[in-house]
Amino acid sequence: MLKRFRSLFRVLTRRREFEDGMTEELSFHIEQYTDDLVRSGMSREEAARVTRRELGSPINIKADCRQAFGIHLLDELRRQLSYAIRLLRKSPGFTATALLTIAVCFGANLTIFAVIDSVLLRPLPFPEPGRLTTIFNTYPKAGVERDGSSLTNYYERRGNVPAFTSLAIYRYGTEIVGEPGSTERDQTMRVSPDFFSTLGLGPVIGRSFTEEETTSETDHVAILSDTFWRQRYNADSNVIGKQIRVNSVPRTVIGVLPPAFRFLSSDAQLFLPLASRPEDRTPSQRHAGGNVIQMIARLQPGATLAQAQSEIDAQNASLEADDPQAKMIADAGFRSLVVPLHADHVVAIRLTLLLLQAGAMALLLIGAVNLVNLLLVRASGRVKELAVRQALGAGRGYVVSEVVVETTLLTLVGGLLGLVIGAGGIHLLGMLGVDRLPLGSRIAFDGRLALVALLAAIIMGIVFAVPIAWFNLRRHLGNALQSESRSGTSGRATQFLRHSFIVSQIALAFMLLAGAGLLGLSLQRAMAVSPGFQSDHVLTGHILLPWADYPDGPSRLAFAEKLMDKVGPLPGVLYAGVVNNVPFSGKTGKSAATVLGHILRPSESARGHYSYGVGGDYFHAMGFSLRSGRFLTADDSAGSTRVCVVDEDFARYYWPNASAIGGRLWDGSEVGKDNEAFTVVGVVGGVKQAGLTEDYAQGAIYYPYVFRIEDSFFVAVHTTLPPESLGLALQRVVRQIDPDIPVNDLRSMETRIADSLVARRSPALLAGLFSGIALLLTAIGTYGVLSYAVAQRRREIGLRMALGAQPGHIRGQFLYLFLRLLAGGVLLGVIGAWLTSQAMQAVLFHVPPFNLAILTSALCIIALVSLAACLLPSSRAARISPMDALAEE
Amino acid sequence: MAKTAELLPGTLDMLILKAVSLKPLHGYGVLLRIRQISRDALEIPQGSLYPALYRLEHHDLIAAEWGQSENNRRAKYYTLTAAGRRRLRDETAGWNRLASAIAVALSTTSEEV
Repeated sequence: MLKRFRSLFRVLTRRREFEDGMTEELSFHIEQYTDDLVRSGMSREEAARVTRRELGSPINIKADCRQAFGIHLLDELRRQLSYAIRLLRKSPGFTATALLTIAVCFGANLTIFAVIDSVLLRPLPFPEPGRLTTIFNTYPKAGVERDGSSLTNYYERRGNVPAFTSLAIYRYGTEIVGEPGSTERDQTMRVSPDFFSTLGLGPVIGRSFTEEETTSETDHVAILSDTFWRQRYNADSNVIGKQIRVNSVPRTVIGVLPPAFRFLSSDAQLFLPLASRPEDRTPSQRHAGGNVIQMIARLQPGATLAQAQSEIDAQNASLEADDPQAKMIADAGFRSLVVPLHADHVVAIRLTLLLLQAGAMALLLIGAVNLVNLLLVRASGRVKELAVRQALGAGRGYVVSEVVVETTLLTLVGGLLGLVIGAGGIHLLGMLGVDRLPLGSRIAFDGRLALVALLAAIIMGIVFAVPIAWFNLRRHLGNALQSESRSGTSGRATQFLRHSFIVSQIALAFMLLAGAGLLGLSLQRAMAVSPGFQSDHVLTGHILLPWADYPDGPSRLAFAEKLMDKVGPLPGVLYAGVVNNVPFSGKTGKSAATVLGHILRPSESARGHYSYGVGGDYFHAMGFSLRSGRFLTADDSAGSTRVCVVDEDFARYYWPNASAIGGRLWDGSEVGKDNEAFTVVGVVGGVKQAGLTEDYAQGAIYYPYVFRIEDSFFVAVHTTLPPESLGLALQRVVRQIDPDIPVNDLRSMETRIADSLVARRSPALLAGLFSGIALLLTAIGTYGVLSYAVAQRRREIGLRMALGAQPGHIRGQFLYLFLRLLAGGVLLGVIGAWLTSQAMQAVLFHVPPFNLAILTSALCIIALVSLAACLLPSSRAARISPMDALAEE
Repeated sequence: MAKTAELLPGTLDMLILKAVSLKPLHGYGVLLRIRQISRDALEIPQGSLYPALYRLEHHDLIAAEWGQSENNRRAKYYTLTAAGRRRLRDETAGWNRLASAIAVALSTTSEEV
């Protein structure tokens, strides 16, 4: 088979040579034979005649020879192709509409498919990625869905869970890298020694981390990403052993990762050992995850998730047996879940992507219906021509292949244009910030996508050809030839087909509109949620103090105080404050607190709360509203009085019927010593930490900064200027205090909030765009079908008008037809919209799936648009002049 | 002229394979060689010779190459490929079986029934 294709290909590439060879071979034969006959005593004329008779016509022989090579099929294809091109060029209006429809629908699908392909379908770049899992602790009853894993979990599980070949932990971070004066902040990952072996992909130069390198005294080593190695070390192959300064501490480069290494969506350039102290690994730290450290594990070949899950459950149960806090942990609904790594990483956007693809498919369907309709109209215009050709001997196969060639040509060219639109669409998605979605940076326009597009275009061409070929073959020759009309009549079946096309188009467009409406409303409601503070005119930035230079609380506090002193007097600054975790930072770790006098009810478990350490004028800087009491002040943040501020959610939960002011609580999950209790001095508005759509009122506690000093903190500045304009000044101030320290992640609060909505905004925009296109296509489709119906019944209308029918009556008749179609479409559309909204429920925010306002607006829009599309043809019908219509033909 | 027999369908390919198996031949040579080896008993329809040659070439049973003829003309010479050799062997065996079976059948006398 392959050989035959190769021989055909060889001939096709040297077609001239093949033809010339054939001619030469035959003339050689004729010459030789004639000569031989002459030699045997025949006259030359006689010999030539005999040769001609015995050999037959060279033209026929050549045709047979071509057929032997299968070339005739390709010649036929070429003929049909040029016929199709001629036909398409003859009706530029139809061709342009068809190509544009295919291009737009195709482009929309390609764009979404590119995202689905990179985010959902393409496996992670590790060997046997299907065996990679992630394990995280969850305490659902405490309001903590996800708490990562603890160091203790890692050291207890490693080697003790038979379903896993290996198990590793990691944490994301940023570090200050480089020599003094030219430092940069880089994304990093701290990983356990078995991290790379668990993934199955490790350093290509040098080695991985060892067990000995997991203490803070011995962890002065680093592994570089390929990009980092190329950019900073110019791909120096002798990089191993060189020193690199990370957070002011020199580390030795021990390895370089391959270019393909990319862990999930991480942009880490530098990999460091995840060092810890023995006391961090003890059973008392088992539940101290805080969603900072994450665990991955590789399943044994053949092992299942369920098996791994039951082994983890069993181990947890036996470990918890002698845990003093066992009851509280159990009450919180504690479990460690084993889930596939890839699926878990994209779980938040999976449904949205699938819905968008479904939307794009609906669009394609609408476009396809339009196209088939247009093609049918064309085909019925050519019924007679086709009948004549069939009568003259065109076979059924020929008729079918002609249609297939034409539709495939259309879909291929349209698909090519669609590729261009798709590339544009992917670019547009990039501008919408889609690359910030999980695995979003993998989204690319590549050969794989083009191949899928090519296949889809061919399949589409064949699918389009089916109804047209059916239409062409179904007619009886005689009928068509006898029919007096130039274009033949349209049968009941075709008319029904056309009308059901319109109905389904309207239904699909209605569904798209309703879906887009739900997404839009959902986005609007999310944006209307108050984050708990005034987000305008606030600039925030992240600062990380290197451990070597700022090893303890006092030095870090001193830095923060110096910073407040210098930022406050900057021109345009009203208030400045520091906080260890600013809202919308992406960090959503929660911790426990114990309220004096609060006794857990039987079904209640301890709760996780957002806990902040705040300094300077944080509350004023962020524009928090004070509900009662007072804010924490700069004196509190440096002082030693144990006071705190809680938010209204917290206050309402613990003191439902009384004032929270004066209430006492401990930082941690146990009642502590009396002199360690914090007294509530103020209640502020509830805060959204994870995002505007965070529904669970988690409660928040604000401690004075001195009690929650961390090496990483945010600075928040309220300014009268546009917030971004203050960025450089802020950076300069920080460099004045310590030239080694950069300010990272400088964004206004408004930008942070907008960025947090990217997973809602882009889908809503795309769905809106899709339904706009769908409306346009439906309008074109309705217009097309009704104009055709009018054109077909011209004579009939003319006759009726000659007999006294009024124009208004004729117009009304077409409007009535349209209204029937609209009603059918909307009815189906409502059912469809109900089904889709059920599927969409999980991505909607505070929008009931069956929203009457949205359905009504969708109905109005679709009725208006399609009515506009139908007015033109029906008034044309009313203007038909009886004389002209009857005089035609 | 000697008495000639009509070719049975499908036998032309076999004869061509046999002819070029003896020695590389051009198209006209194939015609002559078949006449010669069949002692002029078989008449080859000249019109179907070339399509048959092309078919065999396309199926990779024979290979073609341009060369010089005896009278110094450019001519296309056909040789047998490995696949062609196999095919010729199979067809020869098949034909022999068929021929002997038919011969036996036709030579049956009434006493043997």
